[in-house]
Order: sequence, then C-alpha cells, then structure tokens
Amino acid sequence: MMTEETSTVAVRVKFMGDLRAVIGKRDETMTLPQGSTVGDLFASLCRSYGEPFVSRVFSKAGALQHYVLVFVNGENIKEAGGLGRRLEESEVEIIMLPMFEGG
Amino acid sequence: MESNWVLTSCGMCYVGCGIRVRVDDGVVTGIEGDPNHPQNRGKMCAKGKAGFMNLYNPHRLKTPLKRTNPKKGLHEDPKWQEISWDEALSTITERLGAIREDPKKLYVQAWEVIGDNFYWLLALGSAFGTPHLMGNASATCGKVIHPVEFFSGGGFHQQPDLHYCKYLVLVGTQFAIAARGAFNHILLDMAEARARGMKLVVVDPVGGFAASKADEWVPIRPGTDSAFALGMLHVLLNEAEIYDKKFLQHRTNAPYLVGPQGRYLRDPGSGKPMIYDTADRSAKIFDDPAVKEPALTGSYDFEGLKARPAFALLREHVSRYSPEKVEEITTVPAKTLRRVAREFGEAVSIGATMMIDGVELPSRPACVDWAKGPQGHKHGFHQSWALKLINIVTGAVNVPGGILSTAAAGKKPFLWWPDGGTDGLLEDGGHILPLPHPKAFPGRTPTRPIRMDLAELFPLAPHFHTLLPITSEDPGRWGLDYRIEVMLHAPTNSLLGSFGDLKKVERFYQTIPFIFGFAIEINETNLFDDIVLPFPTYLERYDFVAGTGLLIPHCGKDDWFWQVRQPAVAPPEGIRYPQEVIMEIAARLGILDDFYRLINHAFRMKEPYALEAGRRYSVTEVIDRMARCWFGEDRGLPWFQENGLVRIPRDVEEAYIGPFIDARLPVYLEHFLQRGEELKEVTDKMGLEWDFSDYVPLPEWLPCPAYDAVKHDGFDLIAVHFKFPYVYGSYGNDNPWIDELCENTGAYGVLIHSDVAKAKGIADGDEVWLESPVEKVRAKAKVTQCIHPQVVGIGGHFGHWAPGMPIAQGKGVNFNALLPTEMERIDKISTALDHCVEVRVYK
Repeated sequence: MMTEETSTVAVRVKFMGDLRAVIGKRDETMTLPQGSTVGDLFASLCRSYGEPFVSRVFSKAGALQHYVLVFVNGENIKEAGGLGRRLEESEVEIIMLPMFEGG
Repeated sequence: MESNWVLTSCGMCYVGCGIRVRVDDGVVTGIEGDPNHPQNRGKMCAKGKAGFMNLYNPHRLKTPLKRTNPKKGLHEDPKWQEISWDEALSTITERLGAIREDPKKLYVQAWEVIGDNFYWLLALGSAFGTPHLMGNASATCGKVIHPVEFFSGGGFHQQPDLHYCKYLVLVGTQFAIAARGAFNHILLDMAEARARGMKLVVVDPVGGFAASKADEWVPIRPGTDSAFALGMLHVLLNEAEIYDKKFLQHRTNAPYLVGPQGRYLRDPGSGKPMIYDTADRSAKIFDDPAVKEPALTGSYDFEGLKARPAFALLREHVSRYSPEKVEEITTVPAKTLRRVAREFGEAVSIGATMMIDGVELPSRPACVDWAKGPQGHKHGFHQSWALKLINIVTGAVNVPGGILSTAAAGKKPFLWWPDGGTDGLLEDGGHILPLPHPKAFPGRTPTRPIRMDLAELFPLAPHFHTLLPITSEDPGRWGLDYRIEVMLHAPTNSLLGSFGDLKKVERFYQTIPFIFGFAIEINETNLFDDIVLPFPTYLERYDFVAGTGLLIPHCGKDDWFWQVRQPAVAPPEGIRYPQEVIMEIAARLGILDDFYRLINHAFRMKEPYALEAGRRYSVTEVIDRMARCWFGEDRGLPWFQENGLVRIPRDVEEAYIGPFIDARLPVYLEHFLQRGEELKEVTDKMGLEWDFSDYVPLPEWLPCPAYDAVKHDGFDLIAVHFKFPYVYGSYGNDNPWIDELCENTGAYGVLIHSDVAKAKGIADGDEVWLESPVEKVRAKAKVTQCIHPQVVGIGGHFGHWAPGMPIAQGKGVNFNALLPTEMERIDKISTALDHCVEVRVYK
C-alpha cells in the first residue's frame, strides 16, 4: 500500500523453491520508494542477502538466471516489462525452480 | 463374460508406448501395441508384453506400512506393521513439519519418469522450499547428454536421423537396437535404414546387441572415447581437411577470435566477440551484418593483441591426437580409426542439399551418436563433448541424415523453440514445459555451498546427487552445518541404481532420521523406509504425462503425439492415486496453493483451467483441466479415454530445426575458463583441493582412475556396464517372464573374454569371484569373444536381495555396488560417477 506521508509502497515478497533455503524465510514485506521497479526490489534484496543471493539469482548483471521466475500479482514479469515492471501495491513471488532433468 | 479394450500407455520403462489392454471381467488378459500410436506404431517389446505380470505380482504392496525395527541396514528386517493411510500421512506431515523452518533438510528423489509423479514430486519439494530435488535416477546417464544437447542442439536428447543417414557411428550406446527413448519406433527406423544400406559402426568395449547388428564392431578400452573422437577430428580436420566451412563460419563460434589467455577478443564498446573478415581484411563484431568471409584459420593482430579463430585452435589442438597416438590410448588400431574417419568424412557429403516438402535443406547423411557409455567417467563431459564436435564440424546437426535434437521445437499445442543468447550462442533450449532445463552454457556462478549435494561447486552440471553419499560422511568438511533429516522417494530403487558403493549409500541412508516413499513391491531402497506408501502399477493409473514423449520422442517428420494414461483396471482397495496423495500431503503442510502455483506454471495452466487456490481436486479433475487447457474444450479426459491420443503432424521446420534456429553452436567453450576461475576463488576460500583439469575450452583425453589402476594396483581388468532391451530400466526384475528371458539368454552372467578366461583357467558357466576396490561378489562367467580383452561386462540391473522380490533375489550382479564413490571418481563438470572400475576375476 502507498502512504501519503512517505510516498513509499509496501511489497510483500514471497520466496519459493530453492530461495527459501537461501533466504531462510518464506516471505517478507519490503518498503520501497514509490515508482520502484522489480529491478529496484532485486537491488534491495541483493543488498540485504548479499553474494549468496546474487550468485544464485543473476547470470550476469541485469539478467536473471533462467530458473528464476518472478510474478507480480500473479503476472509473469517476462510478459509485463521484465525487471522494469513498476511496483504498486503488490505481492511479488520469486520462484527458483528446480531443473527438469532426466537420466 | 464382459470384454473390452482400453487404450493407454505402457509403463514398463520410460518410453511410454501406446498399448491396447484387453480386460475380461475386470481382469487384464493381454496387451498389444496400439497401431495408431506414433511412439511404437503397434510394436511392443518383451518387457511391455510381460507388463501385466507386474500387475498381478502376489508380492505387491497394498497398504501403508511402518517399520518397527529402528535399526536400519542393507540386510535389516524393517519388521513392517500395516497402518492406515491417515496414520501414515499424519506421521509424514508431523516429520515434515518439524523441518518446516529449515526446508533444505528435505531430500526428494522424484525419478518416476513413466508418469506425472516425476514433476509432481519435484513441485511438492519446491513448494516446501528444499533445493535437494533429484529429477534423475542414474549415477551417470543423462549427466552430460542433456547439458550438452541443450547448448549444442537445442533439445533434451539426441537421435541420429535414421530416415536419411548413410553412415552411423555409435559410441557407447546401443541406440535403436537395445536402448533409448522412442525405442519401438526407432527400432523399425533402424531396420529400414540397415536394409537401405546405411553402414553401422559400433565403438564399444562390449560386443553386445548393437555390435551384433553392426557392419563393424570396434572394441575400445573403456574411458577413452574422447581420444577416439579427437583422433577422428584430427583425421577429418587436418589429414582429410573435411569440414563444413560455411556452417562453421556462420553458424558456430569457430571464427570467434581468441586471444592469448584463451578468451574471446571482444569489442571494447559492446563486449561482443570479434571475428576477422577476410573479405575486406578487417576485424568486425561477429553479428555485424557486413561480415562476409569470417576467417577460420590464421593469426591476426588486434590492437596489439595476437588472436586466432577458435577453429584454428581446435585444429591445432586435435593434431596432438594422431591415430597412432590414439591407438596407444584406446587400443583401436590406427588404420581402423583413420578408415572410419575417412569413410565418415566421405559419407557426410559436405555441401549437399536435399528437398523435403518443398524446402531445401542441407543434407549430411552421417553422424556420431553417443549416450550412457562416454558419460560415465571421471572426465565424462569431455569424453562426450569431443564426440559431439564431430557432428558440429561437419554441419551434421539438426539437418537430414545428421544428429537431431529431440523435442527441441514444436508449434502445437504451444510454440516452443530454441533461442540464442550470450555471445550469439545457443542458450535457451526448446522445452514444451516452461521449466528450466539442464544446460552447460553459460552456467551458474559458483559460490560457497549451502546444498548438501554441493551443486554450487559444479556450475556447469545439471545433476548433483552423486555427491550426497560423499558429503554426508562429513558435512563439516564442505562447510555444511546440517544434515538431511527427511527423504521422500518415488517407487524406484535408488539404493541399487543411483549411486555406487553400497556400503557408502547404506551409511548415507542411515544418517537420515526419517525416510518415506512409495512402492509397488518392497525393494532394497524400501528396506530403509520408515513409512512406505503403496503405489498403483501403470495399468491402474491416470497420468497427463505418460512416458517421455515430451522429451525424447522419435525424431524426423513422423507425427508427434500426446497421450493421457488411463487405468485399464482400478487399483486394489487401499491403493490411492499418487497425485492425490501428493496433494493431500501439500494440503496438510499448508503449501497446497504454492504447489498449485508451480503446477500451473509448469503445465501452462491458464484461466479458466488453472488450479485455483483454496480448492481441492481429484486426479481426474486435474488431468481433465490440463487436457482441455492444452487441446481444447472438447478434448478433456473423457475424449482421451475414448481416443487414447492426439496425433500432431510436424512440419519441416520442426523436424529439421538446424537452419531455422537463430543461434550459433559452440566449438570452443570459452565460458569454461571463466567458470573455472570463479570456482577456484570459492574453493581456495574454502580451503578445498579441487581438480580443474576439465575447465578447458577444448576437450582433452584424461585417464580414469581405472585406466591407471589396472597397471599398478594388482587389478587386471576393467568392469563396465551394458544394457539388455528386456530389462531396460529394471522395471521387470521381479517379473517371472522377464526372469525366464534372462535365464535363457545368460543375462545374469558376466562377460569375460575367452583368451583371458583361458589364461585364468575359467570355463563358461564357472562360478568366479569378481572383486573391485569396494566389493567382492560371486558371479557366473560367460566366456565370449564379444568383449574387449581388458574388460569384464556386467549387464542389467540385478543383484537383488530384498525379500519382497523373491524372483529376482540372488540373480546377477549389481554393477553399481562395485564402484568406489569418492570425489576423485566424480567428473568435476557433470558430477557423473565413474562407471568403469578396476577389478580382478578369479575362481
């Protein structure tokens, strides 16, 4: 939700898949400046959780690993602006999927 | 008497052939191949025909059990006690609930690839939050083929195009003769290709089924496949100068300029790799539209740096593998290798084209195929990758007659297609399910592990479970401060099939306080279970994913398909559908909505078909939603129950994707250098000694431990494993008809070369001791000329002792039990456990 006093938005982030083990929690609520994007959210998460998070989530600067999915209010960001997707009152799901293997 | 025929899908291995099941008064009395099914075109194998003996196995588990003997071991009697489903699921929920805040303590073995449970179990583990999800079964198989194929072909697996191939070299695989996906389809293609005159050369330590059908069997010393491949490359590139220049120039990274440190020369502004255009003698960015004639040879100065095209480095590199040098390594005579390479080079017909359905395509009617054999070595990645390079340098990839990538692309019911990415190279393989696929490019960033399987230290690997018996012995050595506390497994037999040294696996399983899983019959893995849940056979199940038609269908222009498995008969009272059990566990844990989220994504479930949060579904409701979502409102589960399958025609672009992919293939693995350097930083910080010899951009032959051990440690033979078509995947080991086949064909014996047997005083049928560094077993000798004289051949997946498998008990040898399981025997790229082991054989 956006508050007039601070012009911030509160984003509930839900971690699924491997990330629960990396982050050590199932979800958290983060406060970001109004107008923040998914990329800004990830920058904040990178600051909070450091190298273990960065190395698992990004293949290189600005590029998510192919096994990381991000949904904002149920919508895959791949189809909605990618890391540039603006965040309003949102629930963000960050899912680190297992590989579909074989052999 | 009421009789009817039910259309469904076989489940006696992972292929999933279409079958018609005859049911008389509720009893299955016969199984036939479905002639309308593209996967097998009405044909069946012996295993499939014997399938209903599994259904009526008197030793089947039909009610949940709990162990009452707390002591666990290979030969400990669990002292089972029958319990209710509610007690079983309550106990499971309680034990999972206890690790809820630290979910990585759960380990899920999801491999049950004949049906839905494969992904459903992965999704359950993922919703729970553990990274320890094992979506594979073997300690070797699949560990290289998938990551290689996704970055050098575009799909999940590979298949020679038997429709047009004229010269096929099989290395360490019995493709289309005794093994592989779409088995009953490609068997016919192989027969037709052989009748048409295709030459078949089999390179294998074992003169098995494939060799017996071949024009030529080339026995090779185990673990030397890369040397053979590099020798072939040398003959092709340097002696005969046969390579597909245009393909290499424009469809691979062969022209990328490589600087002194082995890295691409990159454009300072864009960071993109550079090439040298001989048309105007200037360096350009690789994707500059003005590029005309990228150089493949030579040496160039670029702002003070000397650089050479990757292809020039490859040619120079392979020049160290002359056939004479390769003979010393492989025992393959130099003249044989040279002849095979030259025959291959002539057959591949560089520059030829052909028309299919009005579309002109390159024609490359020769290829090399490999599968399990080359992967199963300490240096398994490069053993295999060198073989794939033969196809790439001759342009025989995804074109008629060459090697084809399975399930790489399709247009119905969705569009899926491989795509380029980093440095213009193939990066995103095609996959009908929008799930991350195993690929060795560009890899992941190594970091300090939190995973018990050390996945973080294997940034190019897709599978990691071979590490678990090693790390579980001393987690602290790897910086880990916890242990696996709960294991959930599919109804397979990981104890015998997924690792090596049984005593080490026994110790690993003994460290896990709570193990639960499924079973059709109580096998050796179940002997470690705390709770066992009964599982229906494939003749009693519903599955939206029925077999591996979505990953390894037959290639070429024959129709693709989708089949939904339905029960021929109802499961016995007391057996529940596994999908409903999984949903029940998720619901009890409070993660059902998360589970739905993952299933909806994996199966592209959109409104109004997507599973809705807060609702409960039966398995038939879920499958009906999936079927209607994919194939239309009128093609739900009832339609599939009546019609069996949807046939989906493939056009030329789907069948031969090579010319239609907007991406280059690699011949030079520059990123291996980067990942190796990153990994070294991590291992140095952790104080670990690590072998980086495989982190090189061009493949090198390096010896397996067994290669040297037979020279120095008192062992004189190397044991290898091979497959039988009638025990493929071990689904029929306790099936009396399969047992009879095995008995009558001597499948339970171990192959010893007649010269070796004579020298050791061993006669055919003698009982002998077979001893590896970690196991000593009795075996029956099968004396033959059809094996490399330095090798002992062990087939199938035998060596059972579980009381629940009385037919299989005491028959044959469990090959994996012979394999030392230590870091020194693990491929540092793929995590494959070395599957050749030094042994001695004596009476």
